[in-house]
Amino acid sequence: MSAETSRSPRTRNILIALTLVGAAGAAGVYVSAGPERFWANWLVWTLFLLTLGLGNLFLVALERLVGAHWSVPMRRVPERIASLLVLAIPLLLVAFLALPVLFPWTRPEATQNPILVAKAPWLNLPFFAIRLVACAVVWLLFYSFYVRGSLRQDESKDPNFTARARRLAPPFMVVFFFSVTIVAFDWISGLEPEWYSDMFGVYLFAGTFLSGIAAMLSGVLALKRRGRLPDVQSKHYYNLGTLGLAFTVFYSYIGFAQYMLIWYANLPEEVVWFKHRIEGDWQPVALLLPLLNFLVPFFLLVGGQAKKSPRILRLAALSLLLGHFVDLYWLIFPVLGTEPLFGWPELAMACLFLGLGLLQVRRAMGRGADMPVGDPLLVKGLEWQL
Amino acid sequence: MNEATSGTFAVLGLYSDAQKIVDAANKIRPRKLGRLEAYTPYPVHGLDRAIGLAPSRLGALVLGMGMLGTTLALLFEWWTSAVDYPLVTGGKPLFSWQAFVPVMFEVTVLFATFTAGLAMLFVFNKLPFFGHPVLHAKAIKDITRDKLALSIENAGPAFDSEVARQALIDNGAESVEIVPVPVWNPAFTLVGLLQTIGAIVAACVVAGVGIYAVQKVLPIVPPMLHMHNQPKLNAFRSSTFFPDGRGMRPAVSGTVARGHLPPAFATPEEAGDMLGNPLPLTQQTAERGRKVFSDHCAVCHGAVGDGMALLSRAYGAKPGNLLSNEVREHSDGFIYGVIVLGKNAMPSYAPDLDDSDRWAAVHYVRVLQRAQNAKDEDLR
Repeated sequence: MSAETSRSPRTRNILIALTLVGAAGAAGVYVSAGPERFWANWLVWTLFLLTLGLGNLFLVALERLVGAHWSVPMRRVPERIASLLVLAIPLLLVAFLALPVLFPWTRPEATQNPILVAKAPWLNLPFFAIRLVACAVVWLLFYSFYVRGSLRQDESKDPNFTARARRLAPPFMVVFFFSVTIVAFDWISGLEPEWYSDMFGVYLFAGTFLSGIAAMLSGVLALKRRGRLPDVQSKHYYNLGTLGLAFTVFYSYIGFAQYMLIWYANLPEEVVWFKHRIEGDWQPVALLLPLLNFLVPFFLLVGGQAKKSPRILRLAALSLLLGHFVDLYWLIFPVLGTEPLFGWPELAMACLFLGLGLLQVRRAMGRGADMPVGDPLLVKGLEWQL
Repeated sequence: MNEATSGTFAVLGLYSDAQKIVDAANKIRPRKLGRLEAYTPYPVHGLDRAIGLAPSRLGALVLGMGMLGTTLALLFEWWTSAVDYPLVTGGKPLFSWQAFVPVMFEVTVLFATFTAGLAMLFVFNKLPFFGHPVLHAKAIKDITRDKLALSIENAGPAFDSEVARQALIDNGAESVEIVPVPVWNPAFTLVGLLQTIGAIVAACVVAGVGIYAVQKVLPIVPPMLHMHNQPKLNAFRSSTFFPDGRGMRPAVSGTVARGHLPPAFATPEEAGDMLGNPLPLTQQTAERGRKVFSDHCAVCHGAVGDGMALLSRAYGAKPGNLLSNEVREHSDGFIYGVIVLGKNAMPSYAPDLDDSDRWAAVHYVRVLQRAQNAKDEDLR
């Protein structure tokens, strides 16, 4: 196999250089652009890496839950991308330092605001820390069970692991939905705690799932191009493309439903959140969301043959990943002001986190076989027909 | 059935192995002996490509019709809400695309699903189609059980059933059968179908016209007693009962409706000279005044009486500022007179408010004036 040729140390050195440049830049951001901008960037990128990791762990568990065969030959890819969790969870723990900088409910004047007083039983530091640590522990436990277990199965060929993985999938789903909602409420809508939106958790889940599919697609196609997944054929990624198509619609549906209900009800404390984000300088950013997350991927993927074309799938995945970043940027950055800040501090922080994320995924891509060779369902997955 | 007169519909070759039928189809297809078709008891992978089936155009049709649905729904909502019957709802613009999206979405889905279902049945599957000729073949029992059939269909004068039969035998068919064009019972043809539908439509028309005639034109037995057809006088209707031809009775001259004494003054100034507030200013009367004020006055004069309210902003009118020095210097009777007689664009409120309500409102106007011009001792 050409597995070795695809892992040249040159790429690794470039990534390490990128990360180091980014790290130096990040220190500069903290000193010269101020802690607000530093932590806002930190939050966007940490959540980007975290949601990619969670989305891929969810895809792994989803395959177990529904007993899918078609995705088994590609499952190593989401398992490896899920290793972003190991990187993102410490970054999220460090983001605890951002609380006094960005989160109004941590400030002393919060006791004068009736809305924040009413929300204090949820938004208080001890409970916040408990939720954060509990989520982190649960994610790592499930990550260890699904990903390390699957790697161990390569050697042991133990069919019982497949059965156990399926039994644990339903509880994972429950925990996953709760934890994604907690992340959405704590780390994103907590930035403007006077805002109310019950479905914000579902919105973040939709973005997580969609960008998870996009990351898995890019990973599968990248390995396929390097000749490391010769048995994965167009029929396999056709199905992945279909899932992506379905969930662009789901994401848009949820995103629009949240917007329309708030627009309709026209309640001041809810509307102001959108008013800051769709008017003035933020309008072009807001318009990028339906473009990158719906129009482009939908019309790229809607044709039957399109989902068998690696070029089109790669374009759609790129659009979705970019769209997910713009989404998080659009959710978090408006707390810094009415202009979308984008300059060298954002580029420096992007270098740091992209470098870290790519290094982590790249390291994971070298671990174990490229297909789950110990899984008894692998043969069915390879023989599976459209 | 005479084959010479009815001709050959197709030649069927039977196989019992899925791979063999795919290979045979791949070999026969380039020879263009006729249109290739396959009948199998279960789906065989790759057979659709082997018989040269083009990718279905249904998807493109569904996408196109779905987008047509989106466009039509948008145009329709724009026309109804912004052009034909413009109505401001909740202060939002007439063309509020946000509110249109759910309907656009639903109409898209409606057009797309109907197109998918109906085009599949009537365009691509060519319904109505009464019984396929292959259903009359002797091999049909085998085909629906465990045999796979490859069929070369008669697609024009170049078709030769003998050549087709030989091609199937050469490519491993276990047995070959020639299926003739069936002679149809005339009831099961397109003409028969149209006659049936026509008869049903005609029966519906006759029944509908008949029921309408019985109900409206021949009211021999009314189907039910309509409650509004009663032998009584209706308000605002003419009546032959009274000599003046009116159903409603005018008031007897010289009488006054209870609580609606006509005013003894002709201008607010006169009222100011003649009248003082008969109600004592108590918590109770002030509360009642507030209710009257917020129900009737606040819509123009504003909740605090400063003349700034939603309606005045929307229509550009300038209602009086009740907190101005001019109004504060008017007597209670003057304000009462304005309520009864109206002033400038303000109509008379006498029909809506009885006497004590008007005086309570006057009290409340005074309360507002004092609240907005509070002195130090008022705050203690």
